[in-house]
Amino acid sequence: MSNKAILLGNEAIARGIVEAGCEVAAAYPGTPSSEILPSIAKWADDLGTRTIVEWGANEKVAFEMAAAASFAGKRSCAVMKQVGLNVAADPFMSVSHFDIKGGFLLVAADDPGPHSSQTEQDSRFFAMFAKIPCFDPATAVEAKEMVFDAYDLSERHKIVTMLRPGVRVDHCRQDVELKDVIEISRPASFEKDPRRWVCLPASVRVNHPQLNAKREAIREEFETRFSRYNYEVPAKKKARLGVIAGGVSFSIVMDILKAWGADDISVLKIGTPHPLPLKMVEDFISRHDNVVVLEETYPVIEMQLNDRTKIKGRWNGWVPGAGELLPELIEEILCRVLGKEVPEGASAELKKAAEDLNITPRPPMLCPGCPHRASFFSIRQTLPKAIYPSDIGCYTLGVNQGMVDAVVDMGASITLASGLFMAYKADGKEQPIVATIGDSTFFHMGLPGLASAVYNKHIFVLVILDNSLTAMTGGQSHPGIGDKLRKGETGRRVDLEGAVKGCGVNWVKTTEAYDISTSRTLVKEAWEHAKAHEEPAVVIFRHPCMLLRQKQAVIPVTVDPEKCIGCKFCINFFNCPGLVFDEKSKKAYIDERFCVKCGVCINVCPHGAILATEGEEA
Amino acid sequence: MQYVIVGIGGQGILFTSRVLGHIALSRGERVVGSEVHGMAQRGGSVISHFKVGDYSSPMVKAKDADVLLAFDQNEAVRNLHFLKQGGHAIINTHDPAFIENPSLRKWMSDHGVTVHTVMGYDILKREMGGRFLFLNVLILGAMCGAGVGNVTIEEVREAVKVLAPAKFVEDNVKAVDLGYAGASR
Repeated sequence: MSNKAILLGNEAIARGIVEAGCEVAAAYPGTPSSEILPSIAKWADDLGTRTIVEWGANEKVAFEMAAAASFAGKRSCAVMKQVGLNVAADPFMSVSHFDIKGGFLLVAADDPGPHSSQTEQDSRFFAMFAKIPCFDPATAVEAKEMVFDAYDLSERHKIVTMLRPGVRVDHCRQDVELKDVIEISRPASFEKDPRRWVCLPASVRVNHPQLNAKREAIREEFETRFSRYNYEVPAKKKARLGVIAGGVSFSIVMDILKAWGADDISVLKIGTPHPLPLKMVEDFISRHDNVVVLEETYPVIEMQLNDRTKIKGRWNGWVPGAGELLPELIEEILCRVLGKEVPEGASAELKKAAEDLNITPRPPMLCPGCPHRASFFSIRQTLPKAIYPSDIGCYTLGVNQGMVDAVVDMGASITLASGLFMAYKADGKEQPIVATIGDSTFFHMGLPGLASAVYNKHIFVLVILDNSLTAMTGGQSHPGIGDKLRKGETGRRVDLEGAVKGCGVNWVKTTEAYDISTSRTLVKEAWEHAKAHEEPAVVIFRHPCMLLRQKQAVIPVTVDPEKCIGCKFCINFFNCPGLVFDEKSKKAYIDERFCVKCGVCINVCPHGAILATEGEEA
Repeated sequence: MQYVIVGIGGQGILFTSRVLGHIALSRGERVVGSEVHGMAQRGGSVISHFKVGDYSSPMVKAKDADVLLAFDQNEAVRNLHFLKQGGHAIINTHDPAFIENPSLRKWMSDHGVTVHTVMGYDILKREMGGRFLFLNVLILGAMCGAGVGNVTIEEVREAVKVLAPAKFVEDNVKAVDLGYAGASR
């Protein structure tokens, strides 16, 4: 049986993973990869497979779980975003040297742009660093097909194999063919063999040359046996330009050439950028005088070429070294390398209209009713002179409230607080510090930093913003919640307070995030305790994420224009989409298109101008 | 057929392209599109691309779109450049005065672009108790009402019946019809 459905790229990848007989799947959510694991669970439920599907507490955990399942002979996969692979880099580099057993697919989703990340690093580069093969899909359909080949290659060469979808493949929607699951029986059977499964230096001396040999054998296969991913679209006439393209850039080029009706440009599609099928690429280059390379985000194809003299690419500035290769940009690059006139850019009239009408892009903001907004407000009102290191999650948007002073990566709010404390301690100075971290991020990488801070007697307040899910990425579970993905399966909730106390923290209290008065009291107490006892103190701010749409009190509000003095305090310190400043009347007002009637802002206005309105229940 | 759908994170934009996709698939056409997820979704400007026909890339290039569906008039102005010569914009409008801006007028006439406005917020406030989440289907109704977009109101109704959660089917169909009646032609 086969049928078609319109799937998100991530759903298509997940479908491929289940159809290919993957039995152990692990991930940590992160845009643009987040939908893959829940989709694996859904397809596995639909198709009735026995696939184990689990969130790990972080990407390293997920990678190692999946790797061990492969050691035991199962087809497995680990799924993460590009910066997640930084977290999992340690096991990734190690396991890449192993002669693994069951097929092991690593899905590393990249975010050129970036749209939702702290870097726009290129995971294909990581594949090159680890010397493992990488598939770079141009469409959702191709991504799904590549999953099967990746598993096959992984098992034949006993090597970790990477699928690297970019955000435009992850979050594209396309009609995709669905097949029934392939039955694969690979009973779990871990064969004890320390030389194979223990990464002793002595093993590496054997494994590293072997890894090099695997890479060259795979390169040879990519030259000859993968023409469905690596192929030439020849020009109808003599080619004036050769384009080498991979990933979604290839799809964009093809649509542009079609729209142009171009018959004198040939294209070489590369779906396996590492190890690069060098003979194929060099042959293509030798037949063209003018060659441009389009790939995201780093020059991975380019850098593997022995001779770049004919190439127009990143090395000589024809292709920008940062940012997403959007269709308009690719068209512009093609025009430039062809010596054609570049199409006119932004229209002056539209720019003028936007200026006249005061229209600027809307930056992302915390949702109306978001508990983080109330939490940040309480903290800033209590300790206005503090330094506020924060972390990766929705709450990074607290930057709009002046409540996020430094963010580095997952878990760094706590370690940055430690480092800042140490810097001021070296001068013998007292400096209030309040770190903020989300519940999921705390379990991800907050724990080691907190244990370290307790051990070293670091004085700061740690606020855990517990909204009971991984919100930014769309609401996934984590150890602090305990839900699991497969139907009928339940996990166990790891107690957040218990975990904090287990790290050695003596002072930990919990507050309802909407309750500004109690929250302020606790933040003050926490800081006093931290100073008096030379240790970090922890306040947990709790309120469910608005995405969970849980029932809560409905408190419609209004701004009394008589009382509003136009000071913008509510705009600058509370920053809610539902609370807007009218430049004409110089008063704040409630934008009912966005207000969710949480009522928190009533306690925000210092002039008592925000009032609950009577009646009206929803 | 190339559509660009713009608005503000949280307005339920993704459902609109799902409806268009369902219709295309039931006609046996190929579709490809691009969505926004993650941080960019949180209350900021969002944009979805959707293409029906023989395309490879999920993204619509500037000056290529047949139709711009805008959930917000400000986002509409910021994204009109996606429209091709002779394209149509369907704009949910809260303050119709914007359309009188002289630069905008000039651009529209130079590019043969037609703007169809629908007072979605007013309509939903008046007819559906201010449940603004129905904008995503109302705007599809408005597109049909304006006679553009290459789908019929019947197709939209049928697709919404299949795709909407059972208890909201009636409300969704109602919003489609309200948009159909409320669009300027």
